[in-house]
Amino acid sequence: MTKSIDTFKHLLLRWSGVLIFLGLWELAPRLEWIDPYFVPPLSTVLGSIGELFREGVLVSHLLISLWRGLLGLVAAIAIGIPAGILLGWRYPLAAEVLNPVLRVLSQVNPFSLLPIFVLFFGIGETAKIAVVGWVSLWPVVFYTITAVRTVEPVQIKSARAFGISETDLLVRVLLPASLPLILVGVRIGAGLTFYILVAAEMLGASAGLGWLVHNSAMNYQIPRIYAGATFIVLLGYLLNRGLMCAERTLFDWREAIPGLVRDRSHQDTKPWIAPRFAAAALAGLMALIVVAGSVEVYRANLQGGEVMPAGGHARHFGQPVGE
Amino acid sequence: MATAQALATSAPQAKPKIVVQDINRVFHIKKGRGEGARDFVALKDINLEVQTGEFLVLVGPSGCGKSTLLDILAGLAHPSSGAVLIDGKKITGPALDRGIVLQGYALFPWRTVRKNVEFGLEVKKVPKRDRKEISDRYIKLVGLEGFENRYPHELSGGMKQRVAIARALAYDPEVLLMDEPFAAVDAQTRETLQDELLRIWEATGKTIVFVTHSIEEAVFLGDRVAVFTANPGTLRDVVKIDLPRPRHNSDLRSSAEFGWVRHRVWELLQNHPAEHRVPTERRPVADAISPSAEL
Amino acid sequence: MERHQLTLYKILAVGALLLLWEILPRLGVVDPLFIPPLSGVLSTMFELFASGELGKHTMVSLVRALSGLLAALLIGLPLGLLLGGWFPRIQTATEPLMELFAQANPVILAHIIIFFLGIGQTAKVFIIAWLCIWPITFSTIAGIRNVDPALVKAARSLGLGRFRLFLSVVLPSAAASIFTGLRLAAGYAYIMLIASEMMGASSGLGFLVVQSQESYNVTRIFAGASVITLLAVVTDQLLKLVEMRLAFREENGEDDYVRMRQLAQGALV
Repeated sequence: MTKSIDTFKHLLLRWSGVLIFLGLWELAPRLEWIDPYFVPPLSTVLGSIGELFREGVLVSHLLISLWRGLLGLVAAIAIGIPAGILLGWRYPLAAEVLNPVLRVLSQVNPFSLLPIFVLFFGIGETAKIAVVGWVSLWPVVFYTITAVRTVEPVQIKSARAFGISETDLLVRVLLPASLPLILVGVRIGAGLTFYILVAAEMLGASAGLGWLVHNSAMNYQIPRIYAGATFIVLLGYLLNRGLMCAERTLFDWREAIPGLVRDRSHQDTKPWIAPRFAAAALAGLMALIVVAGSVEVYRANLQGGEVMPAGGHARHFGQPVGE
Repeated sequence: MATAQALATSAPQAKPKIVVQDINRVFHIKKGRGEGARDFVALKDINLEVQTGEFLVLVGPSGCGKSTLLDILAGLAHPSSGAVLIDGKKITGPALDRGIVLQGYALFPWRTVRKNVEFGLEVKKVPKRDRKEISDRYIKLVGLEGFENRYPHELSGGMKQRVAIARALAYDPEVLLMDEPFAAVDAQTRETLQDELLRIWEATGKTIVFVTHSIEEAVFLGDRVAVFTANPGTLRDVVKIDLPRPRHNSDLRSSAEFGWVRHRVWELLQNHPAEHRVPTERRPVADAISPSAEL
Repeated sequence: MERHQLTLYKILAVGALLLLWEILPRLGVVDPLFIPPLSGVLSTMFELFASGELGKHTMVSLVRALSGLLAALLIGLPLGLLLGGWFPRIQTATEPLMELFAQANPVILAHIIIFFLGIGQTAKVFIIAWLCIWPITFSTIAGIRNVDPALVKAARSLGLGRFRLFLSVVLPSAAASIFTGLRLAAGYAYIMLIASEMMGASSGLGFLVVQSQESYNVTRIFAGASVITLLAVVTDQLLKLVEMRLAFREENGEDDYVRMRQLAQGALV
């Protein structure tokens, strides 16, 4: 009994900051502490979100964004994990030597790549997916290399003593052992993906969540800006939390390794979904996004949407008068 | 001298299970910053025989090559020269006729106890039903019945090592190689595990080669103790342990005989040149064990 | 392998990359309209440098980025220290809020920010600062929380008061983590700089890139992109050097791993 009260109090404390913030958001515009034209109160924004939902607009753009992000991420994984395993496991010396090269490449500004990709791939989906893929490739590769290199050597040695083939060693031992850290890389890649995607959509797209916000700004539909922005923030938060949760569920055989998993006092409780089910659910969700997203993308392109000027990018916010 | 001693004290009966012939292992170590490469002699002219069903312990300080020798026996490392014969056949690499138990986090954390034990069986492509039966048997043998579906992180250090033993035994190798398996557990668990190991050994009749740097452990467990010295790694002597069996579930460790044998081994590990040593056989027992004892 | 040999190979690897960059486009293996040869990019860079354009844009961008980073440091570091060390309860209360804020993509926020700050230097610096505060704050908090309790115990037993304890034990221990956050933030600063300049500016390296895009001048795009990347790499390396000096950590491969663990633990982006 006292335990649930304690948990409740703890939860209350944790979310008090957010609650206060939300409260201020509602009150400040209403009480005219802030100009409500520029910052509409929370309730108006929520209403706007609801409106967008009902119009189907939100879902549509959401699917498009997710579709792009997912494809980019999948491309990054498909290239990054094998590359990382190859470098970390088979050719660790090459990994060491190539490290500076890879690090420099990973620091190439993705926004400066965007025009390059657009010029090459055209103003289509490919350019955006390529940028997103590029951005998430690096965490995946780096984390995979580290993951493979930090597998406990005793486990490898024990497995080798059975006289198994190299393939078996790779599949049965190396992969499962390095999977948790690899997935951390994927999670970080996913976060970066989402981030860059939304920004890239603002800079040159005709659909997607980023475009939605940008378009609303251009048309001075201010509550919509906030609606889109809030939705994006929530989505990013849920995405990260969801991935962390998935990580914990899939790897319930891992003890709380300090530094890798956020230290929570209730780490001991068994996750309430069986790992297999969770993995299947995740896979199903991704498949859904790919399918539904493709439909939306097709429709969006068919309808033409907002046509961007030839450079693939419009000057925003009017012509600035010097800096 | 080592060879003669080894053969003399082992009273050869049937053909030996393992024959170590003239094993040498040299590591070339390149030093950075201008120093040339140097050779590190891990093992030099090792000759040894292990009888079937024997419990042989390799004991010595760090760097004496005992772990290297075990790796070579397992087929995980190759000697610079010499060969190892098992049942008369030269070994070329790791195989399922030898099992190994190592120190540390050797269990696969993503597999349950049962799945860990079944690892070798999976590799050997044993059908599922048989696997369950076999793993049941060995899990019971090491005393972990009821823990089949736990994960390693839920187990204590002692339990983990038992799983490791079960895993190594599950595909029924004839030889069990153990490299300081109990070094990472606390002292009391260690003694329990030693008892357990002897019980398992007597129940299964395997040939065991056990590496440790604890003289106590060596004398308690072994039929014979091979004493190694470092720089270069050589086999100094093999001591026959005449203490009675069964040794588990007894207070052997506190007996005078135990202390006596332990002292013999300890002496061999010291670096006194042979001439200046008074051989233990000639000194009164009491003096050897404790100068102040009155027997 | 010897350390010096390894370093040599690393340099050779970079050299090989540069060589490929030159040869492959020239041979047509890679479409030169997509990736112009290195020499072309270098000559464009030199042109821009000679005309003073490059210098002007670089300075502008650098000032923006570093101002934003500095602002983030001046706000984020004390914030992290206070929350992590002095007011743990407030930290618990504000943590979910900060996590949400960290998710707030400043590119998106930019639309809102311009209402308050207009399009100008301040807005851009603010955007960069907003983005960079979170990694710094989070890594500071994480650094403080992860101070080895054995160290604290030892210091306490020597009679150190709370403030001295903080200064001489907690802070140096957390320094490594703080620096990781700083380096992360520096990387983000550059990324955000370009994005903000692409959205609306009349000077700066991002503006240069966008301008080149509109005139289909691929070589110029690459020139700009290379300079930006160079800036980011140099800043990162400088910070690394400072870190090594201040935090007395040796250069080793574990460096990256520590950074990664920090990332996994606290930062969300």
